Amino acid sequence: MPLFSRSPEDQVYQPAEDTFLLRDAALAEVRSDDRVLEVGCGSGTVIAALRERAAAVVATDINPHAVRAGREQGVETVRTDLFAGLRGPFDLVLFNPPYLPTLPEERIDDWLEYALDGGPTGRATIERFAEEVGRVLAPFGRVLLLVSSLTGVDEVRKLFADLGYIVILVAEERVEDEDLVVLRIGRDLCRLTG
Amino acid sequence: MKRSLLPILCCPVCKGDLELRVAEEKDDEIIEGALFCGACEVEYPIREGIPNLLPPTDQD
Repeated sequence: MPLFSRSPEDQVYQPAEDTFLLRDAALAEVRSDDRVLEVGCGSGTVIAALRERAAAVVATDINPHAVRAGREQGVETVRTDLFAGLRGPFDLVLFNPPYLPTLPEERIDDWLEYALDGGPTGRATIERFAEEVGRVLAPFGRVLLLVSSLTGVDEVRKLFADLGYIVILVAEERVEDEDLVVLRIGRDLCRLTG
Repeated sequence: MKRSLLPILCCPVCKGDLELRVAEEKDDEIIEGALFCGACEVEYPIREGIPNLLPPTDQD
């Protein structure tokens, strides 16, 4: 099928095992007074499930089809790169990042690519997220991040630990030859003073 | 977008405040309009209720 005839659904990452694992972890984590941000909301499945469970929800995606899909589910969406156009603060930030290790020659140039391509290591977008999330995260805020064994769970844990965050594994599931995990990431409160 | 979203938005480049410019409002929602960054002198469009806060060079 030629690219230009793809329907909007074909250009948005559709819910799969990773989506549902993050959604269930988020439902277990969310508090009624949380201001929640989902970064890279795709179809909007995760954030829509939290609408009635949180004080406020908002979602971002760089993909114009995805922000439309989220809005159709009744969620306020903003088209932006990660959280570039958001100030926060958010009590809970959710992210199912593009995490597949992808070589430049493997890239296909369309919107779905943004949902999958994690660069050669699979961690390119996660590294940018880790560096910048502190700007929009409330002091006691938490991040739920979906990570695959294909991306390197230990490497991602170390990445956040080196930035001063405490990382806990809160959910895991084996899907074919891949382990999916959800990491709960928060500031090391002992280091907040000073 | 609802007006209540404005305080949590910022310019994606300089992180400064944005000024809301409404062209069409319906049922408490801004459907068409723009968000203006005075410091960067850049206007970010709001279309079909969704603000587009991609830097001008990345807009399609």
